[in-house]
Amino acid sequence: MSVEQGIFAIASTACIVGAVVAVASRDPRTAGAALFLVLLTLAALYATLAAPLVAGIVVIVTLLIVLPLAVHLSVPAPRVHPAARPPIAAAALVIAAALLVTAVLAVAAGELPLNVSLRSTDGYDVAGFRDLTTGRMAVAAAVVAAALLAALASVRSVRRAS
Amino acid sequence: MTTVAYLYVGAVLFAAGALGTLARRSAAAGLVGVELMLAGATLTFVAAAAGFHELDGQVAAALVVAVGVAQGIVGYTLVAALERSP
Repeated sequence: MSVEQGIFAIASTACIVGAVVAVASRDPRTAGAALFLVLLTLAALYATLAAPLVAGIVVIVTLLIVLPLAVHLSVPAPRVHPAARPPIAAAALVIAAALLVTAVLAVAAGELPLNVSLRSTDGYDVAGFRDLTTGRMAVAAAVVAAALLAALASVRSVRRAS
Repeated sequence: MTTVAYLYVGAVLFAAGALGTLARRSAAAGLVGVELMLAGATLTFVAAAAGFHELDGQVAAALVVAVGVAQGIVGYTLVAALERSP
């Protein structure tokens, strides 16, 4: 059995089992975790099909959108006393704004490899895709996205508590 | 590994999602089922793209993922609003 066959066997089995559990489970937490497993194993299957761009999109979407939504839907938000709430929202917004300014400055300084082509004559330019996803600009964008998500979540929790 | 094996996995995912959407009465379960159906369609697109040595299927898969994200956000918002309403 080759490495590709092994990855396919493990990922497809986990994917199908996760799909069945996600459909059959009545607990929303279990269903959300199973859906998370399905999407991540699908990303592995896309990678074995020589589709790294789709796999990357699915991983980013899963981590930044599907997982927060599932957690928000299945886990009840804790009630915080208004007098004891920390100024998390303001701090998160300031940090996110600073990171956003950093990202804009990085773009202005030419850190973003905008001239990278994802396609070549024989398919994907894997080296260019790697440069694009592992560059400092990509890391800055991910951090900014995470900070904005944290800011939105904290603003929501503070509004709910007040 | 042949393309047919990936197509079978996509078909199983789509069938599981359709079963969950039709059989369960919960709105959240229906959303999970629709997400599984979209995932199965995406896997089929990517497998077909690999089988035909074309990139069009991957572009279609990216579009399906974008549609799934939009549907997920709207759907989860509606479900959360429904669960909060008395």
